[in-house]
Amino acid sequence: MPVNKLEDLRKRKEKIFAGGGEKRIKSQHDKGKLTARERIALLFDEGTFVELDAFVTHRTTNFGMGEVEAPAEGVITGYGQVDGRVVFAYAQDFTVIGGSLGEMHANKIVKVLDNALKVGAPVVGLNDSGGARIQEAVDALSGYGKIFFRNTIASGVIPQITAIMGPCAGGAVYSPAITDFVFMVDKTSQMFITGPQVIETVTGEKVTAEELGGAMTHNRTSGVAHFMSPTDEETIQEIRRLLDYLPSNNMEDPPQFDPGDDINRLVEELDNIIPDNSNKPYDMHDIIRHLVDQGEFMEYQQYFAPNILTVFARINGSTVGIVANQPKVLAGTLDVNASDKAGRFIRTCDAFNIPLLNIVDVPGFLPGVTQEYDGIIRHGAKMLYAYSEATVPKVTLIVRKAYGGAYLAMCSKDLGADLVLAWPTAEIAVMGPQGAANIIFRKEITEADDPVEMRKKKIDDYTAEFATPYKAAERGFVDDVIEPSTTRQRLVDAFNLLESKREERPSKKHGNIPL
Amino acid sequence: MKKYNITVNGNTYEVEVEEVGSAPSAPRAAAPAPQAAPAPQAAAPKAAPAPQAAAPAGSGSVTAPMPGTVLDVKVAVGDTVSNGDVLLILEAMKMENEIMAAQDGKVISVNAAKGASVNSGDVLVVIG
Repeated sequence: MPVNKLEDLRKRKEKIFAGGGEKRIKSQHDKGKLTARERIALLFDEGTFVELDAFVTHRTTNFGMGEVEAPAEGVITGYGQVDGRVVFAYAQDFTVIGGSLGEMHANKIVKVLDNALKVGAPVVGLNDSGGARIQEAVDALSGYGKIFFRNTIASGVIPQITAIMGPCAGGAVYSPAITDFVFMVDKTSQMFITGPQVIETVTGEKVTAEELGGAMTHNRTSGVAHFMSPTDEETIQEIRRLLDYLPSNNMEDPPQFDPGDDINRLVEELDNIIPDNSNKPYDMHDIIRHLVDQGEFMEYQQYFAPNILTVFARINGSTVGIVANQPKVLAGTLDVNASDKAGRFIRTCDAFNIPLLNIVDVPGFLPGVTQEYDGIIRHGAKMLYAYSEATVPKVTLIVRKAYGGAYLAMCSKDLGADLVLAWPTAEIAVMGPQGAANIIFRKEITEADDPVEMRKKKIDDYTAEFATPYKAAERGFVDDVIEPSTTRQRLVDAFNLLESKREERPSKKHGNIPL
Repeated sequence: MKKYNITVNGNTYEVEVEEVGSAPSAPRAAAPAPQAAPAPQAAAPKAAPAPQAAAPAGSGSVTAPMPGTVLDVKVAVGDTVSNGDVLLILEAMKMENEIMAAQDGKVISVNAAKGASVNSGDVLVVIG
């Protein structure tokens, strides 16, 4: 081959790799952000990234765009390996026309999604874009539409992860919203449909971009995002960590790791972890930490609806999704947000063959006019639906309260739990002793010489008789009442047993989950 | 000009009402005003409960997350508290919930007493 042809190729690539040029790269760094190529390099195992479509370029001539060069069309796309497994990725390059999305930019992302779906590999999108490239008009809009459509088609087939690492406004927010997991970088990323200026013009409300759509807002208040980290580097490390919990696609199981922990470990601390007074709170994280391999887990939506915990962890080296009530927050009640959070998490696990462990300590649904008006019936139904629909192994561990509808909503035997274990501290009943005593023994209490004393006696009677796991065990709703210290052993055994579980549902187009 | 008979606490008042916007004879509208005066008497009792609900939830306000009973108040006005300190115990949903400070500061007011029933959103403590 003539040397000048090779030289030409090298020169062309060099130009593309330079992105938006030194000045813009410096400005990106000054904002505390990495460039798209630096992010890609961190995401993949060293030397494994293969770039596609580097030569793609836009074909707009409107508004002087014919003269504008856009190296790599403002988005780096390709595939590589994360801990040895194939992952596809795209990273928008803010230094090239603000990372704006036009027809060809969108086509590059579309190709990544199509290829990932074809080979059954996860997709990671690193978003950093000023929005639609206005000069391209409806071609830009069409680009977004194509991406949304593919995100939806790929949903439940391959894991889709999006990280917001800069601005993400208007229609652009909906691709992340359709994907399975949204990461945000604290202080440097924002998401909103309409920005602060528009809001002020229309409604007069003054709000900063950070308050409106910053990482904490979407992690704590809106529930749009699932994870947040302080820097680009840590965000990408967390994405790699999450990928290790997930299978490559819906036909595979999550990767198996060396447990690094004794599967027969007796955990004596668990015998005393539930306070003597059943009305005292404790931190559910402590129970989880004692049960899982090496006490290590990754919390999904840590800041949103903290009255329920949803975490990825491993037991005997295999991924489990844990849904657990948190007695420390709102008494561990289920409310609108907790139901949405758990419902989505359960479906994510079921889609990707991740067995579920449900740790129950729930006094009931949160009462109140606001909750009813916000549709706790509709939202709570999502949990019942998601659990019933899930065919992955489902193991339920009742550690304390399991009352009424909330007991059912936490994956009772009747919603298809394969195995239900209970600690001796479990209280499984229709309602709490105080409320129940007032209703069942109303007559005896009002007619007694000392109603206060009689009421107390009846509450004690009810507590002794019904606020235990044994009534439920008598009916077979609880498979076994176990010593808390043996729980890890029993869970290892249960998930081992259920590994070969096969459960079919009637074939249908799709179910109709209440939304 | 329209005439109404309005009965307040058994007393009937004759009230004339004129629509100012469309009527050319606006000045005459002043006349009925004294007759209408007793009306606010009747309206007053209804409006009374409003101030109770009006306690504003400012930035330093700690509100009840659930309806329940205050079991114990751990702080007094003037105390210095840090983020995460337990301010009071709220018994709700079969749980003695620890209500904690969300910021460092001084306790400016304690709005709930031991044994009080509170509703969700009620201001319990204000920290400044």
